[in-house]
Amino acid sequence: MDVAVAKYGRRLAMVAISGLAVIPLLLLVMRSFAQRWFWPTLLPSAWSLRAWQYAFSPTAEILPALATSLSIALLVTLLAVLVALPAARVLAWQEFRGKRAVIFALLLPVLTPPLAATMGVHALFLRYGLTDMLLGVALSHLIATVPYATLMLTGSFSRLDPDYEAQARTLGANHFSVLRYVTFPAIAPGLAVAASFAFLISWSQYLTTLLIGGGRIVTLPLTLVSFQRGGDEAIAAALSLVFLAPAAAVAFSVARFLREGK
Amino acid sequence: MKNKNSVARCLVVTLFVFFALLAGCAKTTPSATSTLTAEQFASARWEDIVAQAKGSEVNFGMWSGDEVRNRYYQGKVAATLKEQYGITLRFVPTGDVADIVNKLLNEKGAGKTYGGTIDLVWINGENFRTAKQGGVLWGPFAERLPNIKHFAAEARQRDFGTPVEGYEAPYQRAQFVLAYDTARVPEPPRSLATLREWIKTHPGRFTYLAPPDFTGSAFIRHILLQQLKQDAAYNGTFNEQLYQRAAAATIAYLNDIKPHLWRKGETYPASPKEADRLFANSEIDFTMSYGPSFASERIARGEYPASTRTFVFEEGTIGNYSYLAVPFNASNAAGALVVINHLMSPAHTLEQGRELGSLFPLALESLPPADRAAAEALPLGPATLSIAELARHQLAEPDSEYLERLEKDWREKVLRQ
Repeated sequence: MDVAVAKYGRRLAMVAISGLAVIPLLLLVMRSFAQRWFWPTLLPSAWSLRAWQYAFSPTAEILPALATSLSIALLVTLLAVLVALPAARVLAWQEFRGKRAVIFALLLPVLTPPLAATMGVHALFLRYGLTDMLLGVALSHLIATVPYATLMLTGSFSRLDPDYEAQARTLGANHFSVLRYVTFPAIAPGLAVAASFAFLISWSQYLTTLLIGGGRIVTLPLTLVSFQRGGDEAIAAALSLVFLAPAAAVAFSVARFLREGK
Repeated sequence: MKNKNSVARCLVVTLFVFFALLAGCAKTTPSATSTLTAEQFASARWEDIVAQAKGSEVNFGMWSGDEVRNRYYQGKVAATLKEQYGITLRFVPTGDVADIVNKLLNEKGAGKTYGGTIDLVWINGENFRTAKQGGVLWGPFAERLPNIKHFAAEARQRDFGTPVEGYEAPYQRAQFVLAYDTARVPEPPRSLATLREWIKTHPGRFTYLAPPDFTGSAFIRHILLQQLKQDAAYNGTFNEQLYQRAAAATIAYLNDIKPHLWRKGETYPASPKEADRLFANSEIDFTMSYGPSFASERIARGEYPASTRTFVFEEGTIGNYSYLAVPFNASNAAGALVVINHLMSPAHTLEQGRELGSLFPLALESLPPADRAAAEALPLGPATLSIAELARHQLAEPDSEYLERLEKDWREKVLRQ
């Protein structure tokens, strides 16, 4: 009896949670096709393809922006993981003086108000001539992504006993084999989450991209914000969905990977 | 242990190579050296500027939240500039020009005085004041543009009270209008005094947008301006004593109508969208906007009833200009000037009036007869007032400091009462 109730309750909770995620999306889809939608009608009273036609017209320049966003996010993901892996390994496995200070310093970019931090980063990048180009934008995104990636991987490494690596080596595994058969499988779930976080954080940067990219590097959030502030709700909704699709795809595939790994 | 070190070494080498590449890239950033200075422009011949701009690229930081406008500028306007001047117009999508002003201030602080990514910005009001005070604008230039002669003196002098002094060139015009439905209200109240009477005899049928919404702020500012103008000492600039007197009368007016407003003034629509909905649903009988053709556009989109019309108060309504400016570190100032001058021309403003329904910004009396006739014949849409009618009723914006103070007082003395 209790088991049945618990099962029922869990299913109900699942429905409620997925409803919370799906209903706003559904509203967004309706909004993107709505021509007239005034309170109190439940559904739009007139529909139109206008917003979608605009989103895929050359005027909107969505496809180039999508390509730019994607290359930056992938580059950022790669670099963030490259920096975070060795850092997380040391933070998880080794004790040293000032470790807490290092962790605090790592968290600083996340704790500082974004506007102030971005203005400072912009001034610094100007001095080093890193503005107005894709690589500079990717580097600036790293500031927000490396802390998350490192902390997540630190968690993975601390759940893995370093002795496993030693044991594999004792049994004659070379360095590559240790990585491939011991370390990587153990941290893979954490790695997937860290990488997807890095991707998603880079994907949604607005002010950093605008300042460091100087308007020369146009990503999706840049094209989207104009319409959100401009009040054209249908186009803002259509562009939001275009913006959301790759992010959702990343999140779903990571979730799937984690489930299959179990 | 040996293996672990080799991984670390490998990573360090990778990162080192990466940053070395990065540094290499940094050195090759383009540096523009042949930029035009404002001093050179002051003594240059216009033909030479046009020749210098030929074949160049101009980066235009333009607010890009309007589909029709984007299509027109990226299509026709860009094609015309290419054809007539050999200039390629590129757009930098801009949600808020304040972001660009911040970028420029930062660049100035870091000493990036040339090679900027933006050659041209659409700006006015507080953003202009910030940019001008921060010294991030290129100029003065506006008074030397051939087409400046088509603009009225007030457009060239002050922008929300800030002296223009040639650091931006007038571009577009806007004016505050109110909309009503002739099927519901046969004859609208055409002054603040009669509006007050109308509101009291029609409880719950009028409201205004809550400041700091742009439109709502313009409405309460209009009331303030009526009070300010009664004082002979008022000249557009901020004066504390004048403000105190005028603000007291404005607050009194607003609190007087408050109990008779929609929902007894306990709440106000927060966005134009919300006010549109109330008006379309017949919950209120008036809406307002800073765009004189807004009602015609909404009729065309099927959002407002076809019997909607607009009006201005007999005492006038406030209007303003928006402007084009060149950043201090623009890579292509010459190209930007040619584009600005083109956007100020009768040919472009007439075309823009036809394409976008924008209010015609030029002074009619400055135009040759043919252009003047064309401007007067611009299709207005069913609800839009004529250019002449609007111009006759246009009042200049008071200093932006009045605006900031009044919005604050409204919050404390009207909203929270």
